[in-house]
Amino acid sequence: MSYTLRGRIETRLAGALLPLFAAAIAAPLLHKWWPLELAGVMLAIGLTLDVLVYHRLLSYQPAWVALPLGLLELALTVAAARLLELGAPLRPAVLLFVATWLLTQLLAHGVLPLLRLTWPEDGGELGRTGLGLSAAAPIALLAVLGVAWAVEPPTVRLAAGVHEGPLVLDHAQTVVGEAGAVVRGGIQITADDVTLRNLTIRGGEYGIEVRDAESVEIDDVVVEAASLDGINARQSELHVHDCEIRSLPDAATQGIDISFASQLPPSVVEDCRVSGGSEGIVSHMANVLVRDNHVRATELRAIAVTEMSMGDVEDNLVEDALGVGIFCGDYSHCSIEDNRVTGMRPDPSGNPTRAGLGLVAHYGAIATVADNALERPPASFIGARIESP
Amino acid sequence: MAERVAIVGSGLAGFVAYTTLRHAGLDPAEITVFGDTADPAGAWRPRAAAIRQRLMRSESDGHCYPTSFPGLAAREAVRRRDLLPLVRSACDRYRPTVTEFLRHVEQLRERSRWDDSIVPRRIKKIQAVEGGFELDGYGAFRHVLVASGHPGLALPEELAADRRAVHAYEPHEYGAQVTVVGAGMAAATEWLNALAAGAEVVSVRRREPVRRPLNVARHLFTKRGLAGFYAASSERRVQLLHGFGEPSYPPGKAWDAPLERAAREGRFRVEQAVNGAEQVICATGFRRGFRHDPLLAGLVDEHGLQTEDRWIVLADDSSVAALTDRTRTLALAGVPGQWSFPASDTLIGMKVAARRFRRRVESCPTR
Repeated sequence: MSYTLRGRIETRLAGALLPLFAAAIAAPLLHKWWPLELAGVMLAIGLTLDVLVYHRLLSYQPAWVALPLGLLELALTVAAARLLELGAPLRPAVLLFVATWLLTQLLAHGVLPLLRLTWPEDGGELGRTGLGLSAAAPIALLAVLGVAWAVEPPTVRLAAGVHEGPLVLDHAQTVVGEAGAVVRGGIQITADDVTLRNLTIRGGEYGIEVRDAESVEIDDVVVEAASLDGINARQSELHVHDCEIRSLPDAATQGIDISFASQLPPSVVEDCRVSGGSEGIVSHMANVLVRDNHVRATELRAIAVTEMSMGDVEDNLVEDALGVGIFCGDYSHCSIEDNRVTGMRPDPSGNPTRAGLGLVAHYGAIATVADNALERPPASFIGARIESP
Repeated sequence: MAERVAIVGSGLAGFVAYTTLRHAGLDPAEITVFGDTADPAGAWRPRAAAIRQRLMRSESDGHCYPTSFPGLAAREAVRRRDLLPLVRSACDRYRPTVTEFLRHVEQLRERSRWDDSIVPRRIKKIQAVEGGFELDGYGAFRHVLVASGHPGLALPEELAADRRAVHAYEPHEYGAQVTVVGAGMAAATEWLNALAAGAEVVSVRRREPVRRPLNVARHLFTKRGLAGFYAASSERRVQLLHGFGEPSYPPGKAWDAPLERAAREGRFRVEQAVNGAEQVICATGFRRGFRHDPLLAGLVDEHGLQTEDRWIVLADDSSVAALTDRTRTLALAGVPGQWSFPASDTLIGMKVAARRFRRRVESCPTR
């Protein structure tokens, strides 16, 4: 295909219509603006490349070239999303990009040539429809991004250095730390749509305490030396990504505790490193997804889904834990897959349920397990069941 | 009252125009096709057979469907439940077999009810009349598309009466010593054919062949390249068209390796003149220019149409401007339409002319 410049732009806009529409629906549902912002960034990068690069370099574009160009645009989009701090999680962002790319290919090679017979020889131009599209698209895009920008929670930047806490975040906002920013005394979150990013929190009873809040994002955060829990959430829904919980001073402390939120959508804990304490990651009466974490040197249980929780525990690494590695207890329902538990130590109490077991189902819980690497077989106690899928 | 639409020429260009008009909703009764034969591949088939062509030449997905998609590649992928045809098409490497192409033409012929519209007559004269065109006593038509095809095979004058000479597009076998005159795609094909048949081959050519994937650069298949072509002066356009017509064949090992091997074995060489070989194959293509086509020559002379060199000057939409207005259309498709679309003799070029003609028919206020 030899696109004209106008043809490239109009085809690009036609391909972006549906994803923009989907993003406009997804944004309010998720209480997040990143889908719209990301769709806007994707479109802006694509159009810029169309005008400045593709049109000049590619007088003819074989269909296969769309693949490397797509990869280039994906890399630029991810980089731009990071640079602009859109807060878009990687997997959904890549999914949105791939869906948009596939849709554009489908349009370019199937739908548009069918809808408009002369589309190929017109170099991708869409006639009067295309002109309308070209006129309406920037206006719509600017309007949407303008609204997003206007109503988006404010961003507070913490400079490098120590900030005395506790910080109380009682309205929607994004708190971003510059390199070396430390909050001493903990952070309390009591509002929806709060994002914490790139911070170290030192000391306090709870490093991060979340109460009655939804759509809370905690990303790239280090919590150290909290006297109770590293992250403690009650009746809340949060997404914890890329965190480190360390230097827990007391065997009664917990790394991440998410509890009493069974009526809320699942909370997610992923890519975190938790070291020491009584329990590494634990849920009570909550829906949780715990994946890709590294938990080590806990005194009670490394990962626990208990008290009628529902949880997926996937791809975690548990090392050097005392008693129990992964625990599904008290009428909880757990899906436990692809985890590795190693270096377990038996509890000196002699309690058979804590005999250095990698995976335990306890007291009426049902654990569905698959593809876990354990040093000893999983064990069930007091009416609990362990099933294979 | 003039009849609605006539297509003059029942070859592939006429067929593509017919399927395009049918796709626009015209009934077979509204279209009359004049031609020597009812088989749309009737002229093309023996030529392809003569040069032992097995695969379609174009790297693009050439077909006669009115829409670009789905073409033969997509249909083959669905039929075979195999993505390979699509991958090849995406890499401009999809080349269906001649057999598949002919089957496709046959199926489309039946489905489009082509035979319902055929009048097996050769039109010898087109006369502009009020509100349309009188076609050689077969009635008047508002919109006429002339797709008369190549005006005969070109034979070098000095070989026209030589009993050893045969045109590449005429049926022939290969002797022990074969001289191939020409340097284009047909000549290259004949070199390989004759070598494969065990012959010793002499290539006689006036210049070194141009090596390029297609005669016409790909960007000239769309508005992008055509904008510059249309903006060029008449002299420049003539110059460009002559360039596109230079003998050429694609680069690649598939062509070069057998020739190099044969040259090493002393079975292939290049000479400047026809020697005493027992067989001379003239891979010299077709006669070129409207003067070789009595119908077009008469049209030009009778109506004083503008011409440049060997081409009839056409509007950008392939119509003859002097004889076309809102109520009637005279347009050229296929080989004679090069002035408005340099690759008009390809299936894609035929489709472009057909779509432009269709647009004129659809926008006609007397519809």
